[in-house]
Amino acid sequence: MLNLDFAFLTPAVVSGYVLKGFVFSLQLTAIAMLGGIALGTVLALMRLSSRPWLTLPAAGYVNTMRSVPLVMVILWFFLLIPLLIGRPLGAEISAIITFTLFEAAYYSEIMRAGIQSVAKGQVAAGYALGMRYGQTMRLVVLPQAFRNMLPVLLTQTIILFQDTSLVYAIGAYDLLKGFEVAGKNFNRPVETYLVAAVLYFVISFSLSMLVRKLQQRIAIIR
Amino acid sequence: MPMIEMKNVSKWYDAFQVLTECSTQVEKGEVIVVCGPSGSGKSTLIKCVNGLEPFQQGEVIINGISVGDPKTDLPKLRARVGMVFQHFELFPHMSITENLSIAQVKVLGRGKDEARERGLKLLDRVGLRSQADKFPGQLSGGQQQRVAIARALSMDPICMLFDEPTSALDPEMINEVLDVMVELAQEGMTMMVVTHEMGFARKVAHRVVFMDQGRIVEDDKKEAFFGSPRSERAQQFLSKILHH
Repeated sequence: MLNLDFAFLTPAVVSGYVLKGFVFSLQLTAIAMLGGIALGTVLALMRLSSRPWLTLPAAGYVNTMRSVPLVMVILWFFLLIPLLIGRPLGAEISAIITFTLFEAAYYSEIMRAGIQSVAKGQVAAGYALGMRYGQTMRLVVLPQAFRNMLPVLLTQTIILFQDTSLVYAIGAYDLLKGFEVAGKNFNRPVETYLVAAVLYFVISFSLSMLVRKLQQRIAIIR
Repeated sequence: MPMIEMKNVSKWYDAFQVLTECSTQVEKGEVIVVCGPSGSGKSTLIKCVNGLEPFQQGEVIINGISVGDPKTDLPKLRARVGMVFQHFELFPHMSITENLSIAQVKVLGRGKDEARERGLKLLDRVGLRSQADKFPGQLSGGQQQRVAIARALSMDPICMLFDEPTSALDPEMINEVLDVMVELAQEGMTMMVVTHEMGFARKVAHRVVFMDQGRIVEDDKKEAFFGSPRSERAQQFLSKILHH
């Protein structure tokens, strides 16, 4: 049969091989989420503007990113940037920038829906109190848009966390890579991939549960 | 110089004309009521006053400043013109106190404590001091509208615009809002009020403007308007709304 043996996965092995990758996966997720939401919000505001010179570039960017496989963007960015700046960027930095830019396209669509979900009268109320565009957005519209969209933003972040494993394409050392290296060194690849799968599942599934709880709370507040 | 002056204001949505050469004025300390059947352009008209709705022709002048002039700092002007909306439009993610102080702090540059004090004083005035730490969603419609009036007053406005302030309220809550408005009118606030509440108009209005199909059909002293409106359309309207 399978003849599985997990005995080699001692705390020392886990902290030696896996921990470093786990920390990077979390870092990558967190930075790409925060940067992606920030950039995505700017893109959403551009797309909702009435000025074509803002709308068109934003729409072009979002549609391009959403029409290309992520793994290709990761590869292209990793290969192209050194050609442009004349020196290698490093797989980790390259991954962080790529994910931020890529996720921004998805977050921007969520924020766009969120901004549109805020009643128009709220904007009028902000303006009527003498607020400028930026103030009305920052103080009145975006907090409500963000609150309305929180569950969807988090769901996207769970997908993002799973997608970080795609950095294997450029050899960055993430959670999956950590398990892979350990598996190779101890000649137990099946065991390590199994544990990796369980870990991804546990993290993603508990986050999904959290999102569901949050959705119920938001439904009550409304 | 009138506080609010509208001269031949016309507005189109694409090819459809919603306002046709509307002219009227509101003197300092004057209360005018704008009424008319739904779709007659009253709400659009009042939103043109502070430039929330753009208009293509004519002029609106508030306290000597032209609203339609591209060189006018519109936010600065709006900060001095209070507005109350049909659906209250309190900010649902802020407490009542925050609703009252946010624009004072961010627009007028007042200190947080000063803004809070001013807000609480105005809450007192509309009888809602005890609700200061609640959120808008926890208040009744009538209470929310009174907070909205207090919020507009917190900016020390030179005049106030009311866009159907009681239309979204349950009947038993209309009076608590009208009472606040009557008090305000009696204190000499310059007010332009879009409403169907003819009781309010009789009590405090100086003039009544009647609109139909985007035109100002009648613009009379209150006594003349309720005594014998000249246009047939206004007579019909009055008889419907006074005898229901």
